[in-house]
Amino acid sequence: MENFSEVLTLFLSVDNFVAIAVGVLVGVIVGAIPGLTATMAVALALPFTFSLEPVTAILLLVGIYKGGMYGGSITAILIRTPGSPAAACTLLDGYPLAQQGKAKKALKTALYSSCVADLISNIALIFFASYLAKIALNFGPPEYFWLICFSLTIIVSVSGDSVVKGLIAAGLGVIVSSIGLDAVYGSQRLTFDSYDLMDRVSFIPLLIGLFAIPEVFEFYTSKVVPHIRTAASGASLTLAEFKRCLKTVIRGSLIGVVIGAIPGTGATAAAFISYSEAKRNSPRKNNFGKGEIEGVAAAEAGNNGVAGATMIPLLSLGIPGDVITAIILGAFMIHGLTPGPVLFQENLTMVYALFCGILVSSAVLLIVGNAAIRYFSLIAEIPKSILLPIVLMFCVYGAYAVNNSTFDIGLMLLFGLLGFIFNRTGIASAPFLIGFILGPMFEDNLRRTFLISKGDPSIFFRGPITWLFIALTIASLAFAAYRYWQNRIAATNAS
Amino acid sequence: MNQQIKNFFSATAIGAAALCSIFASQATAADWPSDNIRLVVPYSAGGTTDLISRKVADLMQNELGTIVVENRPGAGSTVATGQLSRGGRGINHTILMASPGHAIGPAIYPGLRFDPVKDFRFIRKVISIPNVMVVPASSPYNSLAELVEAAKNKEVTFSSPGMGSSVHMSGELFKSVTETQMVHVPFRGSGEALPALLSGDVDVSFDNMPTVLPHIKSGKLKALAITTPKRSPFLPDVPTVSEAGEQYGLSGFNTSAWFGVIAHNSLPDAATSKLTDALDKVMESEDFLAFLPKFGAEAGIESGDNFRGFISTEVKKWAKVAQEANIKR
Repeated sequence: MENFSEVLTLFLSVDNFVAIAVGVLVGVIVGAIPGLTATMAVALALPFTFSLEPVTAILLLVGIYKGGMYGGSITAILIRTPGSPAAACTLLDGYPLAQQGKAKKALKTALYSSCVADLISNIALIFFASYLAKIALNFGPPEYFWLICFSLTIIVSVSGDSVVKGLIAAGLGVIVSSIGLDAVYGSQRLTFDSYDLMDRVSFIPLLIGLFAIPEVFEFYTSKVVPHIRTAASGASLTLAEFKRCLKTVIRGSLIGVVIGAIPGTGATAAAFISYSEAKRNSPRKNNFGKGEIEGVAAAEAGNNGVAGATMIPLLSLGIPGDVITAIILGAFMIHGLTPGPVLFQENLTMVYALFCGILVSSAVLLIVGNAAIRYFSLIAEIPKSILLPIVLMFCVYGAYAVNNSTFDIGLMLLFGLLGFIFNRTGIASAPFLIGFILGPMFEDNLRRTFLISKGDPSIFFRGPITWLFIALTIASLAFAAYRYWQNRIAATNAS
Repeated sequence: MNQQIKNFFSATAIGAAALCSIFASQATAADWPSDNIRLVVPYSAGGTTDLISRKVADLMQNELGTIVVENRPGAGSTVATGQLSRGGRGINHTILMASPGHAIGPAIYPGLRFDPVKDFRFIRKVISIPNVMVVPASSPYNSLAELVEAAKNKEVTFSSPGMGSSVHMSGELFKSVTETQMVHVPFRGSGEALPALLSGDVDVSFDNMPTVLPHIKSGKLKALAITTPKRSPFLPDVPTVSEAGEQYGLSGFNTSAWFGVIAHNSLPDAATSKLTDALDKVMESEDFLAFLPKFGAEAGIESGDNFRGFISTEVKKWAKVAQEANIKR
């Protein structure tokens, strides 16, 4: 009881609440601006936290992280420009909804799913951290390899009408991802001696180019000016609709928690896995990709489910699961604290005060998010002839800002052209993105596995985790084949 | 006569121009900095180099006015370094936080258009962080000698957060000196590399002190040796590689993650000495001295020509190691 009062004393300060509120607000705004990611915001906010109390400092950064994770979805839905990589999946259904004049419904779905997922993720962090951390430590290269294999099967669900076209796009994504220096031997691959390509193709310019730029091109090349529906007039999300999504949200959150607890996989993969699972299990699976709120819910639950869970390996093991938690680790160290088991022994009060703050941040996200929707949805009311040049400006700025590199602007425009060609030829862009993200992880882990086993392939079947993901991969492929076969029969019968 | 007049005028003109340029450079020296100083960080925001740079910039502002930190990542720091070497507008107010990548980059990236030693003005090494040779708690090896003996007869794996990092190159150097069968397993960042080490999937790593220190203290990793010539105050009982591996030719083994401020070699002398003075003051400040232990770091020693000499040795060392490790350029 004495400890409890100590925790409250430490947590219940105005500074902490201000830090959370400011953090979430900054996160939402920065997350919504294409090219400005939560990672950059957290990195740039770090020096400001040097002089703050440790709990306040960490909560500010965590607030930005969480806000940014949600903020990315706003522009993904409204202008098909994912504000952050993890929101790329949200636009698959979010943008079609906005085009149908249901932007508000999509934004609310994204917000509520994000908040629920965030809460579930936080609860997992508080109650199951040590258990999940153990699983994370059992994830070696062979386990990652099978997880990636399973993740690759989601290409089937995001391929749109044609799996073959989806596989072509994914293959192209893998080829683009292989540009750079070989991770083991350092030999050059498709770099053409350009230093800008030696560190691989930058993700943000690719993301902006692939999704946002084609919209701009489409607007200026199509002869028919699209009819603009205003967002503000769109109906909001009903309770019944959200209830329908709840199962998907919980499933997505749990996927996010597991992916988040394993270092190095990331929110983008979690969003796509969650989306794929939702589509597989939904009675409205044929509506996915055409404006299905369940699709938005799945994507957002997946990526926000990661946010709390990435803190699990950080706090319990001292291992940062992604770039943001690596920065937060830096913040801990600046304050002379060491995340890991020692932190729980020596600074338990502080850890629980942090947990309180992290829980409060979910509620703050709901409030700030609601306010943000009110103002951001005005974007959908701006005529496209004015909006798109502004979008283009942000795209150019966003692509430049990541590495302060003009080369990246050219790269973004190039991928914009590719995205435009994809649109015109009916190839989905999402598989390209998945190939780009997962391709290197697949290769890296395959090679690492052989390196650590000294070439012995039996390591691929070394334990229950590998078997689990082998089973999931086979089941997922079998299901896809079954669906394909069913559709073929249906098509034959219809004709 | 005409010719004489012409000569006179041209001589006067040249003289005047020279005088003007002298005055101009004197004016630059006296007023330096006449503009905001730009500190280029050759890595992304949020990393160790960024964190250290922002701290140093923050403390230097007391001496030199506003310092703008700018991240320019790419090709293991060589993109930013290449830009600095080319000079251009504002170059007299541009400094860069160099790190091991400055000396390792030329060994890894092909056809760099700059000389890592000649093209720069070396102001001061600010921080030095030792690497620690660590094995998982479950490892059968309890000393450097046991590991070397084992690695002579069978393959031993060592992990790193990426090719060309100081962690990777330390391992390659160790392998080359001891002539053992060590295999490099590259990861992408410490977040991925650390779990593989903790769980025993890889046998050993030469990781940076701040990354592994908490795990050594909690008993999850065993520290076999420190890669710097002197023992670290943070792990006083752990021998240096030099001490523990004398019989294997490891005497003088020295690798570390270091951070130091460099500039274009055209930086005026007066600006160099002002920067050196400012950095000296920063490094004496209580704030900086309190900052160091949080990273298991020690203050850098070399400045000016000593710093240049250090870089020169490093460049040669890594070029040789990269060649022996068969890293493609």
